[in-house]
Amino acid sequence: MTGHDTNTTPHRDRIGIILYVFYLLLLLCSILVVGRIIQIQLFFNPDQKIINALTPKSTREVIEPTRGNILACDGRLLAMSCPQYQIYMDCTVQKERFASMTDKSKGEKLEQKWLAKARELSEGLALFFPEKSAREHYLSIENGRRSGKRYLKIGHGVDHDTFLKLKELPLFNESRGKGGMIVEQRNIRQYPYGKLARRTIGFVRDNRSQVSNTHIGIEGQFDYVLHGTEGEQWLRSSDAGRIRDYSHDYVPAVDGKDIRTTINIDYQDLADRALRRQIEEDSEIEGACLVLMEVGTGAIRAMVNLLRDETTGSLEEISNLAIGRLGEPGSVFKTVTLAAALSDGHIKSLDETIPTNHGVIKNSKLPVDRHITDWEREHHTNRISYLDGFKISSNYVLATLAIENYSSNPRNYMDKVYQYKLGEKFDFDLDGLRVPVLPKVGGQYWSNTTLGSVAYGYSTAETPLHILTFYNAIAAKGRMMKPYLVESIEKNGSVCEKRGPSVLNASICTRAVADTLTRALRAVTEEGTARVLGNASCSVAGKTGTAQIVLENGKYKDEYGRKKNQGTFVGFFPAEDPRYSVISVVYSKLSSSSFYGGGYPAKAIKELIAGIVDTDPYWQKSIGKTGSVPRMTAHASLPSEEGESLTVPDLRGLGLKDALWIAENSGLKCTYQGSGQVLSQSPSAGTKTESGSTLKLILR
Amino acid sequence: MANAVKWKIKDLWKTLKNIVSAVLVGELLLRLNIIRYFPHFAYLFLLFWLSIWASLATDTTLNKVERNKKIIHNLEIEHAQKTYELVSLSRRSTVEEMLANMGSQLREPEKPAVRLEK
Repeated sequence: MTGHDTNTTPHRDRIGIILYVFYLLLLLCSILVVGRIIQIQLFFNPDQKIINALTPKSTREVIEPTRGNILACDGRLLAMSCPQYQIYMDCTVQKERFASMTDKSKGEKLEQKWLAKARELSEGLALFFPEKSAREHYLSIENGRRSGKRYLKIGHGVDHDTFLKLKELPLFNESRGKGGMIVEQRNIRQYPYGKLARRTIGFVRDNRSQVSNTHIGIEGQFDYVLHGTEGEQWLRSSDAGRIRDYSHDYVPAVDGKDIRTTINIDYQDLADRALRRQIEEDSEIEGACLVLMEVGTGAIRAMVNLLRDETTGSLEEISNLAIGRLGEPGSVFKTVTLAAALSDGHIKSLDETIPTNHGVIKNSKLPVDRHITDWEREHHTNRISYLDGFKISSNYVLATLAIENYSSNPRNYMDKVYQYKLGEKFDFDLDGLRVPVLPKVGGQYWSNTTLGSVAYGYSTAETPLHILTFYNAIAAKGRMMKPYLVESIEKNGSVCEKRGPSVLNASICTRAVADTLTRALRAVTEEGTARVLGNASCSVAGKTGTAQIVLENGKYKDEYGRKKNQGTFVGFFPAEDPRYSVISVVYSKLSSSSFYGGGYPAKAIKELIAGIVDTDPYWQKSIGKTGSVPRMTAHASLPSEEGESLTVPDLRGLGLKDALWIAENSGLKCTYQGSGQVLSQSPSAGTKTESGSTLKLILR
Repeated sequence: MANAVKWKIKDLWKTLKNIVSAVLVGELLLRLNIIRYFPHFAYLFLLFWLSIWASLATDTTLNKVERNKKIIHNLEIEHAQKTYELVSLSRRSTVEEMLANMGSQLREPEKPAVRLEK
């Protein structure tokens, strides 16, 4: 055992020593590691760059809510948020690295390679931003690189498609640190229909800040609904970029709600085009507005406001004239007088007559009505009915009506005007509806001519929307609906708040009075001052009005005899079953020409009506499921030769193909006009004719 | 009992000396009979490993979430862009203009449509 022990001891000692040394080394290392940990934890003060690089930072970020959309009545988008990109370039990327290379020639080579890529990039940029040539793009990058520009503007307002294509260009397809592409994304407010209804819809640039100007359209007035609520999150850096830090609070953004308007964008387009076509070429027109309203509900289907831009001369939606421009309404106010007199029983029938009195209004200093002297001359009579007076828009007739019946108590008349909501500002969906101006009975500005002049639309100031609301009430048989633009507030397609129609005055007049007024208004379009609408696509009832605008000198004319006119047409259609009411007001500049309500405004409305009648389902006829179609048999016997007598077959109601087949098999030649079914034929069915003779078909 | 809890500085020094000598000789763990705590060490190690693995897995998932969010965001952008382009083209006058430019004779209707009842 001893010998064995003696033989094995040196070997075991050697292993023991090796292990012991190995153990000591490990022990030393562990002591160093522990010492280093203690030193780093307690005493080490690293460079700030190292701290920044190694410390996972959390930064607070505001989450921008998506602004709600504005929708047309059928759900089409009128305003939406869409991202746009601003592209910049850091021209200095890698420049320092190339310059600081120990191998100078390699650094120079890499620099040249970078510039060659910049040249290729410039060629691509010239395609997307053609305002600069490829050479100009390259020079700006090269100069920027030389001067150390870190934020060179490449392009603004870039859409997503273009952005994706830009990212494929040389340098831009590399990382930011190598290619230098800097991208800023912003949700920009987009209006797919351009400037159409700009004043009604409104305008904002983006959703970053609260809209301070609430005057501009729905965007301004309903910003509190559309904007939404900002959220908040904390982000930290990770290997794959910045990710949300879940150890901090997370407040999600609440997106804005959508607003469904009453606007029918097709009608808006029609109205815009119709109005522009009338006034665009006439530089003496300052602007115009047109409002289309649904009779039953008061929903505004189109609202056009055009004002001539003094610098460019083009017509733009600069101001909401329909709600914000007060003016003496002129003859359209005569309907108010007529309505008051009818309601109070001062007139029993429109056919009642009064003496013409050569157009001189008794007990008043109001000017002589030349329409009456013309009437006397043309009709050889000294009497005129209220209907005829209204038809020719006689100031004399309506002023006389007011003076004779209300001069003892003008307050009764003015009360009626207030009852028709023509003296107050009602709650409207857009900011800026003006308060009408009416003279106060017995007040400072009330004189013995005031009642007479108010009766035919002077000494008052109304907005086009107030006038339209009144006419809409006549169309609705006395029920005055409140005009409105916002149908509902919605979230993800479901209605949060229904705003809908509301009534301003359940009955401003009886149904009989409304019918009588409609009769008078129809007479205006059929035989009176709005004859241009006599052959409109459907029957129209309405009234023209032409008023002169008071100038800065307090008069209606300047020293050269020039004046400003306001021409209006307001009415509703179809007259027998009103669906829509409409007003168009045209404002002229200072001019020696005359503009009338029966001119541009009526013509614009005629064009609009034609467009609506052709597209609105109300006017569409329907073909039933069942019906009788003539049998496709040749009633006439086949002729043996030309000139033989035969009976003309009945082809009415057949399509062209079938009609031709029967006619030609009967031995007749055919000519036709139109398309669709055979409406009439000549010679008519059953008559005798000769074989080979021609049969004329009218199709529709 | 009183003697058992009574400590002297000398004893502490002796213990430290024993520890150092045991460390230098490499017998500290043997002397402490640390092997009996092996399951505890193994469990502790497992806990550390699990903690690190969970942290890395969370990071990977969050990265994936962020990547997917970015993809969804890009798709939303593309959808918004296409919607905008499509709606812009739906204006009647624009359609009419485009048709005219393409040489089409199609115009706005000149009379109301006739509706076929189903």
